Amino acid sequence: MSDVTRQEIMAVAAAREIKDGEVAFIGTGLPMVAAYLAKFTHAPSSVLVFESGIVDARPRELATGVGDFRLLHGCVKATGLYYALSLLQGGFIDLGFMGGAEVDQYGNLNSTAIGGYARPTVRLPGSGGANDIGSLAGRIVILMPHEQRRLVPRVQYLTTPGFLDGPGGRERAGLRGEGPTRVITDLAVLDFEPRSKRMRLLTVHPGVTPEEVQSRTGFPLLRAETVGETPAPSPEQAAILRQRVDPEGIYIGKKG
Amino acid sequence: MIDAKILSLREAVASVPDGANMTFGGFAAYFTPMAFVREMIRQGKRDIEMTSVAECWVADHLAGAGRLRRARFSNFMFEGMGRCYNFSRGVERGEIAVEDYSHFAITSRLVAAALGIPFLPIKPMAGTDLMHTRGFEAEKARPFACPFTGESVLLVPAARPDVAVIHAARADRDGNAQLFGNTCVIDEQARAASRVIVTVEEIVDDGVIRAQPELTVLPGFLVDALVDAPFGAHPTGMYRYYDPDFAFLTDYYAASRDEAAFRRYLDEYVFDVADHWAYLRKIGIRRLMALRADPGLGLARIHARTLS
Repeated sequence: MSDVTRQEIMAVAAAREIKDGEVAFIGTGLPMVAAYLAKFTHAPSSVLVFESGIVDARPRELATGVGDFRLLHGCVKATGLYYALSLLQGGFIDLGFMGGAEVDQYGNLNSTAIGGYARPTVRLPGSGGANDIGSLAGRIVILMPHEQRRLVPRVQYLTTPGFLDGPGGRERAGLRGEGPTRVITDLAVLDFEPRSKRMRLLTVHPGVTPEEVQSRTGFPLLRAETVGETPAPSPEQAAILRQRVDPEGIYIGKKG
Repeated sequence: MIDAKILSLREAVASVPDGANMTFGGFAAYFTPMAFVREMIRQGKRDIEMTSVAECWVADHLAGAGRLRRARFSNFMFEGMGRCYNFSRGVERGEIAVEDYSHFAITSRLVAAALGIPFLPIKPMAGTDLMHTRGFEAEKARPFACPFTGESVLLVPAARPDVAVIHAARADRDGNAQLFGNTCVIDEQARAASRVIVTVEEIVDDGVIRAQPELTVLPGFLVDALVDAPFGAHPTGMYRYYDPDFAFLTDYYAASRDEAAFRRYLDEYVFDVADHWAYLRKIGIRRLMALRADPGLGLARIHARTLS
């Protein structure tokens, strides 16, 4: 499996976070790839909800966005954005996926602006449903490229809550859910150490060392007692990813 | 009183004053009243304020034409492509003032207005910069302890836009409007706004509406003006009518990276076409027909690789 892409490893790791029967809030891109893979393999009864108001989509063809008619066609309920997001506040969503331009050691994310707020250097898209998911879903899975400029000591704008200022931060703010439970990057899988709520290295992807992960992280990482290797996709998972989920390699990477 | 609500697109747009606080239907590349937006730019509407959820195509057009003054919103992003360049440039230069919310928070502000109450308690945004970092609002949210349980919530004030512009699938002549598919934020926007303008793919007999009342998103008494605008969402899509014109959207996105290229886009598709009908002639019947939805699938066959 030397031709496995890092994105395929990420997709498999993310899919593993969805347990059968869970209700998951899904965004565009790699989270959608992971959700489809989960539905096609170990979690056929999971329910995919999209902020566009599309509930329990039947994934058959990769969509370009969460409002794509390919998701609408064959879903069980087509409703509005307010209903979909109310499901988060109502406590009906087990987990959500998200990314961002920056993440800090407590799993707080920035998807709003770089270099100031009112007149930033780079204006980013903004929260959308990210803050709602981060504030209210049962568990949060963060997916992002592993770069030093992205894994930073302090996010420049705190769009989406992880553990805020550390232990007890979510409780003090009145937020719900466990907060972020996994960070999946193109180098490694991480979690948050239960007492300090600081990011902790769990496994490195094949061919990656813990030192390389640390050198591309802008803050000191905790390490699990044994840092293992992230499982590569099984032949079945790889075949499903490449033939059914993303045959054009848009999100899982093109193979040479 | 016959057809008192039916206006031409030109008349409907002319009724919107400069400086209006507006909210637009649609989500991402779908259900967006683009014919209305192009006519706004054509007529020189300016200093527009948006109370928005995710109307990225509207915001980026108005920003690129220099007509957007400020926006309270949750997310402007072209899914699958990236951030909105015209809008981002406007903010980065200090030409567009912003106030950021989460989807649920900004929608809750519209819901409060729709319900006729001054505020609503919500759970998200607490503890983050969405709560702490101010834009142009005097006060966007206030932490509050529930008087019954003591649970901490945020109070967000009602937001009442001057005008909501909605593109629906079809309506009868009284403005009873129906939509196929997901309904975006249409219900909340329309009930929150002081005035509601609906553009539609087709105006139908009221018997068509009454035969399937479950499809109605807006009863006619909420609708102040109705405009016949077939393909009025192009280049975004209308479920069961036509798909987004992905090739057009991709070309737009490339042009929006560069101001001169975007100016050429505006000239070609907005200023140099007299009206929406001339726009449709320019896009061409062949291209529009290729986007038309297959009746069984609800989407165009060119975009359905395996669904059939």
